[in-house]
Amino acid sequence: MAALEAYASRNADEVHTDVLLKARQACYKSRDAFYDCLEKESNKKPTEIASVGLLYPAECKALRAQFVNHCRASWVKHFDRLYCKNKRVTRLLDDGGETRR
Amino acid sequence: MATAIVRSAKNLRNLHQRFYFHTLLTKCRPPIPSPTIADNIQHRALPLIQQAIPFGIGFQSFAADQRFSSTSTTTGTVQSGHSKPNSEGGDKSGDSNQSKSDTGKPIRGGPISWLSFLLLALTGAGIIWYYDKEKEQHIEEINSASQAVKQGPSVGKAAIGGPFKLINHDGKNVTEKDFLGKWTVIYFGFTHCPDICPDELQKLAAAVDKIKENSGIDIVPAFISVDPERDTVEQVREYVKEFHPKLIGLTGSPDEIRNVARAYRVYYMKTAEEDSDYLVDHSIVMYLMSPKMEFVKFFGKNNDVNSLADGIIKEIKQYKR
Repeated sequence: MAALEAYASRNADEVHTDVLLKARQACYKSRDAFYDCLEKESNKKPTEIASVGLLYPAECKALRAQFVNHCRASWVKHFDRLYCKNKRVTRLLDDGGETRR
Repeated sequence: MATAIVRSAKNLRNLHQRFYFHTLLTKCRPPIPSPTIADNIQHRALPLIQQAIPFGIGFQSFAADQRFSSTSTTTGTVQSGHSKPNSEGGDKSGDSNQSKSDTGKPIRGGPISWLSFLLLALTGAGIIWYYDKEKEQHIEEINSASQAVKQGPSVGKAAIGGPFKLINHDGKNVTEKDFLGKWTVIYFGFTHCPDICPDELQKLAAAVDKIKENSGIDIVPAFISVDPERDTVEQVREYVKEFHPKLIGLTGSPDEIRNVARAYRVYYMKTAEEDSDYLVDHSIVMYLMSPKMEFVKFFGKNNDVNSLADGIIKEIKQYKR
């Protein structure tokens, strides 16, 4: 019981508001904006480094900055990873396994 | 039989017509006792002779085939067996059989006739029809059995669930006993979850409202954090507030969380990237617990709001029965 009380009183101050609803929604919006830019400019050469191996063209640099601003770093990585995975799956489905990737 | 064969051998040497047959048949084993057949047929009826002889030709060639495949002892029985029914039916189907006899198949009076063919077809059709009916019945039985209400105790329950000692989002200590008396849906997650936990909790909240609307049943949604180090009581309170007023958030000491996760067979693992900013990999599942806090059913990520709500209502109705 004492341990529980001690636990409850610890970290009583910080509430990570960046995971609450408003922050989440802002993050999602900027994330969608950034990835839409990627889709639109997919014919341009990706020169900038995002994270976890994702590259993006310089046109989307501003949106990238906003995206990183609004979302936690771990979330950014998570979304990038998810995007790469989806991209790979669609590429596989479109090519039928022709390109060696 | 032996004397007949000897007699026929002598006759064959003498007669020209029979010599023709003899040459045909000497390739194989002992010659056919053709006089025997002729004798039998002559004994039956005289008018048959005119038909019998050409028939006899075909019959003997058929017999020749028989000779190739059977031993000499059985051929005799074949001969005598065929000669009797042949002569009986010979009257009616003599003409048609002549063409058939040229090909060497004794259909007339044999075991195969149009009647027997008809019976065979009927029997076959009957068997197929019967089999189909049985199969249909069997499939129906399986279908109805799978949809029928399964009594809980007789089927057996999964060993999911158990006692726990956690802290709810108001800071109060709760155990599983506090959830008795109402249906509970428990979801395991953490507040720092990027997209999945918010979506699942939103789905759960919508389902709770839908269930209340459709069937008037009160469901208590519960959220248990698998990230106790970052999910303090305040954090959890702020988090669950946004989803549903009835959503209860639970957290606790890392040991207690570990016990609860083990009891509910929930996998969770910190993807330790940096110190404070990490994600927790965990199983995405909602557990439906009965008013006795016994496990009833789980729902995965693939269910949408409607299927979740319908699934829960169905389980509740079945349980009451």
